[in-house]
Amino acid sequence: MPERKVKIVNQLGLHARAAAQLVKLASKFQSSITLKRADNSVVADAKSILSVLTLAAPKGTEIFVTVEGVDEEKALDAIEEIFQNGFGEL
Amino acid sequence: MQLNLQNENPQMTVEEFVKKSPAELDIKVLAGDLGLSKRKITSERIQKLGLALAGFAHYIHSGRIQIVGQSEIQYLNQLEPSKKKEVLKNLDLTQICCILITKSLEPPQEFKEFAQQNEIPILQTSLLSSGTITAVTSFLQEELAPVANLHGVLVAMYGIGVLILGKSGIGKSECALDLLTRGHRLIADDSVIIKKVGNRLMGESPELTYEHLEIRGLGILNIRELFGISSVGKRKRIILCIKLKKWDEFQEIERLGCELREEDFLGIKIPEVVLPVSPGRNISTLVETAVKVHLLREEGFDAAQLLIEKHSAMVSGE
Repeated sequence: MPERKVKIVNQLGLHARAAAQLVKLASKFQSSITLKRADNSVVADAKSILSVLTLAAPKGTEIFVTVEGVDEEKALDAIEEIFQNGFGEL
Repeated sequence: MQLNLQNENPQMTVEEFVKKSPAELDIKVLAGDLGLSKRKITSERIQKLGLALAGFAHYIHSGRIQIVGQSEIQYLNQLEPSKKKEVLKNLDLTQICCILITKSLEPPQEFKEFAQQNEIPILQTSLLSSGTITAVTSFLQEELAPVANLHGVLVAMYGIGVLILGKSGIGKSECALDLLTRGHRLIADDSVIIKKVGNRLMGESPELTYEHLEIRGLGILNIRELFGISSVGKRKRIILCIKLKKWDEFQEIERLGCELREEDFLGIKIPEVVLPVSPGRNISTLVETAVKVHLLREEGFDAAQLLIEKHSAMVSGE
């Protein structure tokens, strides 16, 4: 069950449209993908939009991404990448 | 959306107009009866002949009914007898399909004679100009409406017409049947006639298939016999379009519900919702909910937008 820490780098943080993009991406993988805020332990399912919104994470928030399933490595890389490129807003 | 137009250039002869026009107009032919079957009305818009009679005739559109009211008649009456003919003579007579005089007014004799010789129909109505214009426009909008036929189901839900589209076999009729059991009304199944009436898109059933629905395995059903008179309707204005699509045909599904889509029918834009269909998803519940969401949005309430605003306040407030 690989885990990696990512950071929100775009100005607006994990806002609604960014969250929608993240969910869209996560839904393409078979693995279950969990996001956990490093500071307050709020946990979210990356395939559910309402769940991701509850993270309410501004710029600079650190998040642990945990992936479990047949395509976990691929999924983890893809999720890390979308965080790193600031949901295409950098 | 690509549609098969059933009437390429809608038009009607002045004779047809006289015969079919609504009773309230009470049209009489005063002169020019020989022109009735030759001259054609091609536009739902009317024109007032006013300034053209006074000599400014640059903007006469052929194919429009020319309305003449009290001010025009008074203007004609105060002209010298020789001029009364000339005002018409000066116009391009090929451009005038007919002249409709309101308020049961009588045009000068010379004017009528000239029209008779030149086969320009002069019609008369008892209505005032304002009432005439309203009645003529709504009648012509209906008669000259572009008409097309499309494959889909039209249901009246919560007072609005909802057009359900999707490939053959996806479950449009089954969805309609389910909606009927919930108290909604069937307007047309399988083949829907759509008409552009003014800026409204109207939908109705072909005469033959009215009140009928076909369900695979059950065959052709008569909905009025099965569910009663309140389960069918003749015609409805189409306000919303719902497209059913197989889940695997979706590249990506919009998750927030903020993207508003539209589809063009005969030049009228209709809001559109695309719903993914798969086993286990109750389509009629989804359709019913989509319609309610649309109605709420029309009232100015948008759940997704509100939640996003609340969320961004939260994100930026931290």
